[in-house]
Amino acid sequence: MVRIVDNDEEEWLPMSEQEEWSDVVPIPQDDGRNPVCPIAYTDEYREMTDYFRAIMAAGEVSQRAFELSGRVIDANAAHYTAWVYRKKLIIDLGLDIGEELRWVSEISGRHIKNYQLWHHRGALLPLLLDPQDVGRLSQEQRVLIPAIRDELRFVGEVIDNDSKNFHAWSHRQLVVRSYGLWDQEMAYVETQINQDVRNNSAWNQRYFVLTANQSTDDFVLTEDVADREIAYAVEKIKLAPNNESPWSYVIGLLVRHAPAMLYERLLPRINELAADKDYAVAVTSTPFYWSALVDIYEERAKTLDVDERGDVEAFASEACDSLAE
Amino acid sequence: MSHVFSYDFRYDDNECETETSILQAQVEDSIGDIYLNFVEPGSFAQGGDAIDDSRHKLLRIKHEQFILDAINGLSSNFSVLDSSQPWFSFWCLNSLDILGCDITQQLRDRVIDKLSRLQCPSGGFCGGSGQLPHLAGSYAAIMAIVLVGDDTAYKTIDRQGMYSWLMSMKRPDGAFTMHADGEVDVRGVYCAMVIASLLNIMTPELVKGAAEFIARCQTCEGGIGPYPGVEAHGGYTLCGLAALDILGKTDALRLDRLARWMSARQLAFEGGFNGRTNKLVDGCYSYWMGGAFPILQKALKRSRTEGYIYDRAALQRYLLACCQDRRAGGLRDKPGKSPDLYHTMYCLIGLSLSQHYVGVEPSEQVTDTTSVYSVPVRMMQWGAMPASLLVLGLRSNVVKPVHPIYSVPYTPLARFVKYFYALPPLAEQLV
Repeated sequence: MVRIVDNDEEEWLPMSEQEEWSDVVPIPQDDGRNPVCPIAYTDEYREMTDYFRAIMAAGEVSQRAFELSGRVIDANAAHYTAWVYRKKLIIDLGLDIGEELRWVSEISGRHIKNYQLWHHRGALLPLLLDPQDVGRLSQEQRVLIPAIRDELRFVGEVIDNDSKNFHAWSHRQLVVRSYGLWDQEMAYVETQINQDVRNNSAWNQRYFVLTANQSTDDFVLTEDVADREIAYAVEKIKLAPNNESPWSYVIGLLVRHAPAMLYERLLPRINELAADKDYAVAVTSTPFYWSALVDIYEERAKTLDVDERGDVEAFASEACDSLAE
Repeated sequence: MSHVFSYDFRYDDNECETETSILQAQVEDSIGDIYLNFVEPGSFAQGGDAIDDSRHKLLRIKHEQFILDAINGLSSNFSVLDSSQPWFSFWCLNSLDILGCDITQQLRDRVIDKLSRLQCPSGGFCGGSGQLPHLAGSYAAIMAIVLVGDDTAYKTIDRQGMYSWLMSMKRPDGAFTMHADGEVDVRGVYCAMVIASLLNIMTPELVKGAAEFIARCQTCEGGIGPYPGVEAHGGYTLCGLAALDILGKTDALRLDRLARWMSARQLAFEGGFNGRTNKLVDGCYSYWMGGAFPILQKALKRSRTEGYIYDRAALQRYLLACCQDRRAGGLRDKPGKSPDLYHTMYCLIGLSLSQHYVGVEPSEQVTDTTSVYSVPVRMMQWGAMPASLLVLGLRSNVVKPVHPIYSVPYTPLARFVKYFYALPPLAEQLV
């Protein structure tokens, strides 16, 4: 691309007039006579995509193809074909992946809710740093590796700007899982929850860190860990009882991994809270409290013989009535 | 049916402000201002003011104009959707059809001409010319062709090519990539199952592991995320649940946990849905969340005579009072946002599914999951119960009923299915 800067005015020189591109026959968009929803492309966009189609059709691997892919992506970050081609060019040309990740970070400010950008990072990172290579290192050592440190910093910045960015949190899971960065992630989760106790993405991440760090698919929830998580959830519930996240988290955790502990270990803590004069009103006026009771009694009823269920069902009914109000 | 409005329904932040509660309060302020226009002050009933819902009007003419203008041209700002071109056809045709607007032969021809140029010679539809075929683009293209609704349109589809391409997107863990070297998530499974079930190209190899993958995406909260471990989200929940219904395997999920999470997604004050816990209301979740309820109800084997477990009137109130752009036409996420074709379609689908009570009676449900023919039978069992119609506001607000899995009206859907299931299947059994 050549821009002639003259008297502080930038003039766009069409690619068709650039010597560098004179060997390429651009391929126009195949639209037909009267397409629906025709987009009024700028001349610049139309031309760059016409040339890019030609480059891809010829399978050209070159520096100019690489630069053109960058321009197309910056104009339309959802151009998934351009991202795929760009990755192929990076590998075939042996380009610096660290540089590429920095470029993606630069343009990401304009394109934050975009799938392709994150997928690209996720695909390139293992090429920059082979997960096998970190196996021998401790977790403290791993987070100091520049590639990992930079990646976590980038994702952290995105989350600072948009605390629940879906792609960012998902990308963190990929990075944490690939390189075994569980300890720092639990600390990160706690920082995010401290910042906003209602950040459900952070609560979901807590479940992920707790349970996905396993060599097998089966996570076993021990009593110690259950008590710790129950205490953590209750502590956060106290800050704002009408917050769905900690209730949803702790019940979800126990229902899935240790249902018996709902009645035996969670219910006593919740009852204490509801009886505590500092919290009683707030706790008993949130629907999440009553919903929790229903969930706990429902699971309990499953373990009892039919004739023992009477009391439990009575409690559950009362809770449902409160919820309905 | 609640016709009560009260500031008591606002989110209680327990006097602990965080970014979440501050944003929520801002949205509630803007929506409260709108609802106040319909409240007769001082007419207290059950702790709130009586809200007069009789005047809500669906601005059909404005929305039709909004869509027709878009069909004739979009500004250069839409270059960012240059890789989603099949969606324009789907959003426009479905919105027009649901509104009951006439879809001219000229428009049908234009759509088919456009889409046939987006079909890749080796199978699948691309987001734009010269681009790779994409699962979401293919899904949108097929749905648009369903809506065009004639044999000429159907014949443009390269059925065998589509199957080969879908199989090249299939992964060993049961999921699908969205395009070659692309991302993997539950949307892919939904798109593949919808396309395959409509085109009569289901095979054991195509469906293998899909149900199990979706089940692994159910989170501890009970909703479904894009990929195992990632946060539960409305869009992916609809995708996962609908795909499981196509496969006849909704039992793969913990339905009680799903029901709990889904019911919490309707916001008490706004009436609309959010897509994740502690996030803001958005009109498009009227389909992603609202549309999931009929499917959940069928999975729970609830009779069609029992209610949906969400407040249909409250959702319609949100859509009609807050999501219509009165000046420009079109529908939107929430007040303050601009209308767009995506929100227009999903708000209208959500409106339809809340007006028309759709379901499948438990005693009639087809339980077979092994025969390929069980798929269209399951599909065509869905129907609306006229006695349970609920239209908020003017009676003329009623729109066409749609299928909860395929999100299009029944007539073009049935015609399409009849055509493609008269062709030989690729496999008789799905196991």
